[in-house]
Amino acid sequence: MIHNYLFLSIILFCLGIVGVISRRNVFTVFMSIELMLNAANLAFVAFSRIHQSMDGHVLAMMVMAVAAAEAALALAVVILLHKHKSKLDTNVFSLLKG
Amino acid sequence: MGQSVNYLGLIPLFPLLGAVLIGLLHVFFSTKVKFSEKFYGILACVGPVLSFILTLKVFIALKALPPASRYLSHKAFTWFSVGDLHIDMGFLADPLSCLMLLFVTLIGTLIHVYSIGYMGGDKNYGKFFAYMNLFLGSMLVLVLGDSPVVMFVGWEGVGLCSYLLISFYSEDTSNVLAGNKAFIVNRIGDLGFVLGMAFLFWGIGASGFDFLSLKANVGNLTPAVALAVCLLLFVGATGKSAQIPLYVWLPDAMAGPTPVSALIHAATMVTAGVYMVARFSFIYSTVELAGNIVAWAGILTALLAAIFGMFQDDIKKVLAYSTVSQLGYMFAGVGVAAYSAGIFHVFTHAFFKALLFLGAGSVIYALHHQQNIWKMGGLKAKMPKTYLTMMIGAFALAGCPPFSGFFSKDEILYSALATGHYGIWMVGVLVAGMTAYYTFRMIFVVFHGTPRDQEAFDHAHESPSVMTVPLIILAVGALFAGFLNLPAIFGGGQMVTHWLAPSLSEHHPHASLFLEILAIGASVAAFAIGIKIAYSKFGQGAPEPEFKGFAEFAYHKFYVDELYHAIIVQPYKAIGSIIWKTLEPNVTDSPVKAASKLYMAIGTAFKIFQVGYVRIYAIYMILGLSLMSLFLSQSLN
Amino acid sequence: MFADGLFLGFAVLAVLGAAGLILFRHPMNGAMSFVVTLIALAGLYALLSAKLIFALQLIVYAGAIMSLIVFIIMFLNIQPSDLPKEETKLLYIIGSLIAVFPIGMFLVKIVKSLPKSSTEIIGNNFGGVKQVGLLLFKDWLVPFEIVSILLLVSLIGAVILAGKREAVK
Repeated sequence: MIHNYLFLSIILFCLGIVGVISRRNVFTVFMSIELMLNAANLAFVAFSRIHQSMDGHVLAMMVMAVAAAEAALALAVVILLHKHKSKLDTNVFSLLKG
Repeated sequence: MGQSVNYLGLIPLFPLLGAVLIGLLHVFFSTKVKFSEKFYGILACVGPVLSFILTLKVFIALKALPPASRYLSHKAFTWFSVGDLHIDMGFLADPLSCLMLLFVTLIGTLIHVYSIGYMGGDKNYGKFFAYMNLFLGSMLVLVLGDSPVVMFVGWEGVGLCSYLLISFYSEDTSNVLAGNKAFIVNRIGDLGFVLGMAFLFWGIGASGFDFLSLKANVGNLTPAVALAVCLLLFVGATGKSAQIPLYVWLPDAMAGPTPVSALIHAATMVTAGVYMVARFSFIYSTVELAGNIVAWAGILTALLAAIFGMFQDDIKKVLAYSTVSQLGYMFAGVGVAAYSAGIFHVFTHAFFKALLFLGAGSVIYALHHQQNIWKMGGLKAKMPKTYLTMMIGAFALAGCPPFSGFFSKDEILYSALATGHYGIWMVGVLVAGMTAYYTFRMIFVVFHGTPRDQEAFDHAHESPSVMTVPLIILAVGALFAGFLNLPAIFGGGQMVTHWLAPSLSEHHPHASLFLEILAIGASVAAFAIGIKIAYSKFGQGAPEPEFKGFAEFAYHKFYVDELYHAIIVQPYKAIGSIIWKTLEPNVTDSPVKAASKLYMAIGTAFKIFQVGYVRIYAIYMILGLSLMSLFLSQSLN
Repeated sequence: MFADGLFLGFAVLAVLGAAGLILFRHPMNGAMSFVVTLIALAGLYALLSAKLIFALQLIVYAGAIMSLIVFIIMFLNIQPSDLPKEETKLLYIIGSLIAVFPIGMFLVKIVKSLPKSSTEIIGNNFGGVKQVGLLLFKDWLVPFEIVSILLLVSLIGAVILAGKREAVK
């Protein structure tokens, strides 16, 4: 039944949050964000199946496009950060301290 | 009733504008453009001369009015209006204020002219004349004020100018301290004045707080409030006019330039207290107890100051104590309800005391600022004009007929006798004798005999005519002013008393001819005895005396200054010091400091959350979100 | 019956892949397990009759985006010393799970209140290229155009951010 899909989406979303806040590796954080986006996509498609309307699919496509754009920019920033400090630890960048 | 004119306000305005103009010129231009002293001098005399001319116009206008409605009024603008208290900046010219105006403007003008010569060479020449004009303007506001509040404005103004001018030679700290003393002691008196005004307003102020309304409503005052008002106003008068216990500033005020001593501390400012009592005669005449207190305070001050004056060695200090003594006479006069006698003595005293001070200034100027009489002597040959005019002034002061001082002093003593104040009369006669003694002691030591300091004597010369002409004019006044109020026994019409009658609530006592002749005889006898003793001791040149015993005690002014210092000043300073060191840091500063420390502590506490790691900020967000979802899921059920 | 089994299998794969993503130390390993998750999700989309999305997921997400990520991981030439030493990883994960739990419970409660419906695969007129395309170019035209501008912007941004700087200096 359709609720199972939604439960799965919730599980994946929560796993994504856990990944964002508990890991210090830049790539892991980024990919956890992508995981959260995918969970949202799954929810969109499930709801579109419930209402038998295609809007959910279109939105899922939009989300994918946005994820692609964000991936490009985020990775460019990761490259720059690595050039700066040659470390991939989010704790190294702490200029906002105090 | 009376007349409303619009030029009364100009009388004080001209000197005030002069003060502002000269002050601005001195401040802004004295370093760049060097104005000549003549320029400042002429500019300074313009204001007083114009005021004098306007005063004459006021006098002529008043003479044309019938006595019952003999006053001019001018309301320049409304100052403030709060509840029942409505004060206009208004001026009232009635016979009393007109008389005061006449001699204030005349003597003020003469002293301004004299100062052109006396202050020559001083680097703050312009500042001096600015202050003098400011003083004259304030005194005119005091005299012309139509309500106690406007009078108080002038009262405060003259106090301020007194301070500024006493401290004029400010390089020497003792002069500044003398100025401080004058201002502070004055202020204590001013507190009494304000309280008196407050009581008066509380009593009858609801229906108008200007003199004419107050005079009309004085019947509504309860006797207790009236007594309180009279005594509190007299406290103000003791400060301004140097009576016991607040006379201590006047001898120290001699630290100022001599024209200042002549104008402010002899002729005009110190008489403001007497004027005030006369102005409030409509209250004082209803409370006989207050009058008695005023009279006794006055005559005792006269006695005390005369004792001090007999032993001083500074020529200006002798005249200062003489002023305090004569002011005591004036208060004795207004205290026994002889208001016109008191005011007449103010009038004549202004002339001869200003004359004596200016003459002393001439002597000081000639001897290059030497003020100790035991370094002078034999000057009558070198300074004839000064000698002659000072002799006239001295005879007037000592009360020798037919000079002016005799008539005014005799009027006061006769009034004391006629109203039954025998004690006051006897002390008054004694003081008259002492006055003659110390006055001629000064004259004989300074002008007669052989010079004690030969070198200074050789350099002495007569003063320039810009200084001697005012002396001569004042001498004429000292000589003849008495005839303006010649009593009936000498065939005169008592013109001044009749002129002042509409302003004062006065009842003239009728006494027997015997008492009148007794009074005159006693006054003349006192004068004769006094001058004889002075002549026998000092007439042929006496050496500087050594004081022992009572004389030494009197020479140190009974140590009153030291007593005040120990009893009042030191404890006050100690209390202030204690408050500054212990009370203030702990009671008033510490809560403020604690508040600021509290905020800093809160800030430091919040700094813990600003870690700078983005991951931790994300954790904060998720924590918030989970708390919110907890609450929401609670409410969903 | 078969669909349920497939769903279970794909779901387990997806969750295992996600767990692997957040547990592996080296990002390459994490990326590989993430790819497993994405492929499982594609299968789930197919089970939901979303034919176009199934294809797009495999082509765009697993094919393009993940290959970009893997490329960058390999480009940076990560040595084991570059990776952060995360001693407290497990502690943080358990703590985060506890923190995230209320959110999850809240969402589950909402989902439970929805009406039940079936998940049979619909063949015609649902989820196909034609239907999505028609919707995209009729009702959703403006968002479509805006998304294309967004892609252009991110393209320019990526070029500027990561491009060579020496010539500009």
